Parts: sequence; structure tokens; C-alpha cells
Amino acid sequence: MRPVPALPLCSCRMSLVIDHLSKRFGAVKALDDLTFEVAPGQVFGFLGANGAGKTTTMRIAVGVLEADAGQITWEGRPSTELPRSTWGYLPEERGLYPRMQVLDQLVFFAQLHGVAPDRARREANAWLRRFRAEDLATRKAEQLSKGNQQKIQFIAAVLHEPPVLLMDEPFTGLDPVNVMLLREAFLELRDRGRTVVFSTHQMEVAEALCEAVAIVDRGRMVVGGSIRDVRRSTGRRQVRISVAGDHRLPWLANVPGTRVIQAGMDRTAVELDEGVEPDAVLAAAIAAGARVLHFELADPSLEQVFIDHVGRPADEEVHLAPDAADVEAVA
Amino acid sequence: MSRLAAFRGIRLVAMRELVERVRSRAFLFSTLLLAGLAVVVALIPLGVRLFDRATISRIAVVSAEPGLAAYAAGTLDQYLNVRLEAGGSTRQFTFQTATDEVAARNEVLAGHFSAAISLVRTPAHGLDFRVYSSGGLGTDRAQLLQVGAFAVGILDWTASQPSTISPFVQPAFEVLDASTGGASGAGAMVAVDAADYAGRRIVGIVLVVLSFLTLVFYGMWVASGVVAEKTSRVMELLISAATAQDLVIGKIVGIGIAGLVQVLFVLAPALIALIGSGAIGDAMLGPGSGASASLSALSPTLLGAFLVYFVLGFALYAALYAAAASLLSRAEDLQIIALPLSIPAVAGYFPAVLALSGGSAWFIRVASFVPFWSPFVMLSRIAVGRAEPWEVAVSMLLLVVTVPVVTLLAIRVYRAGVLMYGQPPTLRLYWRAIRGG
Repeated sequence: MRPVPALPLCSCRMSLVIDHLSKRFGAVKALDDLTFEVAPGQVFGFLGANGAGKTTTMRIAVGVLEADAGQITWEGRPSTELPRSTWGYLPEERGLYPRMQVLDQLVFFAQLHGVAPDRARREANAWLRRFRAEDLATRKAEQLSKGNQQKIQFIAAVLHEPPVLLMDEPFTGLDPVNVMLLREAFLELRDRGRTVVFSTHQMEVAEALCEAVAIVDRGRMVVGGSIRDVRRSTGRRQVRISVAGDHRLPWLANVPGTRVIQAGMDRTAVELDEGVEPDAVLAAAIAAGARVLHFELADPSLEQVFIDHVGRPADEEVHLAPDAADVEAVA
Repeated sequence: MSRLAAFRGIRLVAMRELVERVRSRAFLFSTLLLAGLAVVVALIPLGVRLFDRATISRIAVVSAEPGLAAYAAGTLDQYLNVRLEAGGSTRQFTFQTATDEVAARNEVLAGHFSAAISLVRTPAHGLDFRVYSSGGLGTDRAQLLQVGAFAVGILDWTASQPSTISPFVQPAFEVLDASTGGASGAGAMVAVDAADYAGRRIVGIVLVVLSFLTLVFYGMWVASGVVAEKTSRVMELLISAATAQDLVIGKIVGIGIAGLVQVLFVLAPALIALIGSGAIGDAMLGPGSGASASLSALSPTLLGAFLVYFVLGFALYAALYAAAASLLSRAEDLQIIALPLSIPAVAGYFPAVLALSGGSAWFIRVASFVPFWSPFVMLSRIAVGRAEPWEVAVSMLLLVVTVPVVTLLAIRVYRAGVLMYGQPPTLRLYWRAIRGG
């Protein structure tokens, strides 16, 4: 396994810090000394396959679970001392009161967080409008589609204007239009100074939206930091090349340490091993008489970084098997 | 601030429960159903009296004075069993002389006689009627016996003139409990007027049955509410917005108020029926039918005690139901916990019924202090007038102490349980939740 790059913990006390967090469910280690930091006012991607420990981390933050060791702090205060209204939590387990009207539920949840009912009503209506869902206000939750229920839950999570949003797989199950609406909402909330943390196993979403990410696997931190740093963390580079003529780039065989990872009529992505200079690819193309139309240096995609670090794609299920010592201890 | 916030959470959760509950169709239907049932129960005494006219009460008459018992039995028979011209009779009593008072009282207890009359001549040459009954003598029959006793007294006095020059003394007439009456019995002899006693029993039965049904019924409301929040998966949103404490207490308070509202809506028509049954009884059975006696038994003290026991008992049972339900994953699992949870209530119901029929065995006394049972058993003892104020105070105090302890345990279980899915509810799981919560 590759050495895990240590995350530089910045000294700013204003940030959200996941601080050596461990949690065990019986024989299964859900979190294993997980550590990373989210700068305030960022959109932060919490990446990992199902079972990586994302939900457990968020549940510990909102106080639904207790950590076995370590803590989560916001602005220097541990989560156990923070009011619940610090967090705007969208659980992965989606659910509303089935028989209650949408607007009533939204006001109820906002009031639980201490928002005055009038204000809650006003804000809820404003959010419904911006999600093009005003007509849902008087409907019962059980009459809504899954996507619409998800939008209502998102509104329930943000109505009390929490400084930190913890969104567990917020884009799963949404159609493209709603994905776009939710992305816009994320960016707007960030512009209003909120810190948005969302978990996903869809790398392209994170790539498009996040300023920084943390990749976790089996409860452990794999790599984290700004998107740029993370994409470069494997030490590999890519070139994207476009030539007139044979797109299969037969001459590439003359350059050791290179391979085509994505062939295309327009651009072909070529991965270079560490130590292989991009110039070598260009030189080989010219030597072979290919007419180069486009040549660029690029970082690997987040998806490739993920596979590189974790050893499998993020949408592959992880089954957390208890390790042998644990099983003995339990038996 | 945190204290204010806690109350805010409880208030909001309680309000939501109350409003959603009272608005629901199930609430409307169950209120109508229970109210109908209560009216029927309230009218039972009237029905019993109407039916009672056709039954015959067997009365034993005992006296130490030779001939007096036979004389009294004959006179009572003559006066109380009206002979019709057609040759038939509306026979309501048969009188039979007996020789031994203790034996006669035992026969009453065994149900062979409705009552035993013990006749004693007082030094002032009056007659003392002691009627031993174990509840088998209806209100109106007791009143008729009193009329008959007056007749016996007058005839006896007339017959004794002029050999004893003494003024007429109205015969003393007392209805005593056959099991406890008498000087040799343990504890004070409680003289309860038969009419009053019958009324108290009816009212007691109504209140005890109502308590029992509603505690179990509203307990299940709490349980199904908790499970519904888990199955609809709203729980995680909820538990991240409010504390387990807010959610448990809020739910108990909200559903408790909804239940109380329903109880009042159920009791009100029943009370009206009770008042009405007095008038109906008088119209059908003649004045002084005694049908309105039940109402006088429903004293403000008893009603107040009922409300206090209802509120405290509900809090206790609701906490149990909330905790038990928090570990369930599916609505079907409610069936698994429903029976074991109703066992404490059922176990308290039996001593309560025994207390209502005048029993005062040690286990009834003990049960009337046990917090899970006192809402039924002590209530029964109060209803039939067999509870000392200090006993009531101690049982209420025990409840007041137990409720927060059980609620705290319930909150622990709930906190651990609400996010647990897919595990069957075993005792071990509950124990782990209490320990680990």
C-alpha cells in the first residue's frame, strides 16, 4: 500500500476538525483513527464507497452516535458541547412524517432548532419556491415522489441557517434538473459563508463541486486536501493528445511507462508512470510522423485517483469483515 | 438557555403529537366507540334493577330470642311480597329462619343467601336489624327491607303493649358487610349503606376498567408512534434536531394529553347518562328506585384520584412502551411486545377487581402500593371506601418517585434503540441498551 500522505492540519481554530475519530460496532471497526480538516466556507467532498465510514462520522457530529475515541470540533468546540442547531443534517436514511403536510413538517423541524414559527414559514416558502416546489406545501409527504421528498428534507436541514451542513449522499436519487438545483443551492450557501460537507461515492460530482475532498476507506483516511493536491497525490500524470490519422496511437508502444487509459476520436488520455516526461510522448509522435492537433498536460481524474489509492472503484460495495483478532475477542 | 431549549423541544414534540393525534380519523372513531361503551356501562345499573324485579332474594333471619325470627320472617313475607288478585304474586323475597348467626353469615358469603338479618332486642324494647350482605342485595331491595323492618317494629311494639309501657322506638336498620362485619373481625367494622355500596362498586368498576383500557391503549399509541417514526425513517432527522429526552417526554406528554381529552369526552356522556338514569329509574320503578345512587358515589375526591392515577399511571406505562418500541424495526413487531407489556397491567387488574368486591387480603393491600398497580388497585379501594388517606398519599408518592426513574431508563433505551434496525427485540438487547445507553 502506498504511504498515506499526512494531512497538514491548519492552525485556524475556525475550521471543522475530525480529530482521530474511532468507532466500533461490535467486531466491526467503522472508523479507525480518522483525521481530517475542513476549512470554513468551503464545499467539501467526503468520498468513499458504501461502508467507508462517512455516515458514522456525520452521525457522531450531530450527536446521534458517540465516538469510542477522538472528537469532532467546530471553531475549537467539541461537537458534544455544541448545540444541535450547529448542524444542518441531511441523513442518508431519508424520511418524513408520511401523513403530515410538507409546510407543517418544515416549520416543526425549524422550530425544534429554535426558529420562530413565522420566520420558519416564510423561509420554508422561499426555499420551496426556489426548488420550484411551491405546490408541495400543502401536500402530505406520503404523496410526494422520492426526489421531491429529498428536496423537502434538504430544506428541513437548512431552514435554521446552520453554519455547517452535513449532507449524506445528497445527490443520490435526484434527476439531472434537481441535481443542478441542489448544486446551485450548495454554492449559494457557501457564498453566504456556510461550510458544506457532503458525502458521495460519485467522483464526478465531487470533482465539479468541491474545493477540497477527503477520501476514506474502511474507516481510515486515505488522502485529502484541495482537489488539485489530491489529483496529483498519486505522482502520476496524464497527457491528452489529439492527432490527425490513426487514433490508436500505435507509436506509443515505443515509449515505455505509458498506456492509453481512455481512447477517443477527439482526445486520447495517456497515463505516464512516475519519471516519464510528457515530452517523450510528444517527441515519439513527431518521430512517427503523426500530426499533433492538440497536446495538454492533465492531472488524473478523481475517479482514477480513488482507484489508485483504494484499489477499486468507489461504487463498489465494501463488506466490512471483522478482523480475526476481533472475532476471537468477541467469541 | 439549555433548560429553556429542552422545554421548547418537549413542548414542540408534545404539540405535534397532540395535534396529529386529535386530528386523526382513528381518534374520532375510538372516541365515539368508547363514549358509546361508557354510556352503556353507565346504564347497566338501571338495567340490572329492571331485570332485578323478576328475581327473588333469599334472606335468612336469625334471632337469639325464641320465636322472634319466625315472627319477623312471617311479617316481612306478608308485607313485602305483594299478592295479586289473580292468585299469583310478585314475589321478591323468601325468608327463612336460621339458628346460628355466624353460620348464616357464612351462607351469605357462600352465595346461598342474598343477606342475613340478625335481630336483637335492645334494652329499650326496640328492635335492632343488622343486615349482613356481601353485595348480593340490591339497593332497592335493601330499601324495601328497611320498610319491612319498620312494619315488624310497629307490630312488635303493638303486641307488647300494655305489658311493657314504653314508647315506640324506631327499629335500627344497618347493612353490614358479611365478610368483615361483627366484633370478632380484624380491622374496624365498616358500615356501608347497601345502596351506597352498590353504587360505589359500579362507579369503581367503570373507573378501573377505563383506567386499565386507556393505559394499555394509549401506551400502544406511544409504542406505535415510536415505531412509525423508525419505519418512516424520519427518526434520524428527528434525533439530530431534538434530544432523546425531548422526544420521549414530548411524546408521552402529547399523547397523554390527547388521551386525557379522549377520556373526558368519554366520561362526559357517561355522566349525563348516569344523571339521566336516576330520572328514568324513578319513572319506571317509582320514586326512590335508588338508580341515581351511582352518581352520588362518583364523588369529586374519587374523580380527582382517578385523574391523578391516570396521569401518573399513564406516564409510567407510556415510558415503558416508548422504550420497548424504540428497539423495534417494523410495525409488525409491535405484536411481539404488546402481550408482555400488558402483563403488568393485567396483573394489577385482578387485585383491583377483588378490592372492588370488598376484599382486603394482604396481597391486595400490597398491590395497592406497587406503582404499576396502584392506579387500579388503590383506585378500587378508594372507590369502595376502603382506603385510608395516608395509604393513598403513600401510593401516589411512590408513583411520583417511580415515574422519573422509569422515564430516565426509557430515555437511555430509546437513545440506543432508535437507530438500531433489523435486530429482533430480545431481552438481552434491551439490557444492553439500558447499560450502554
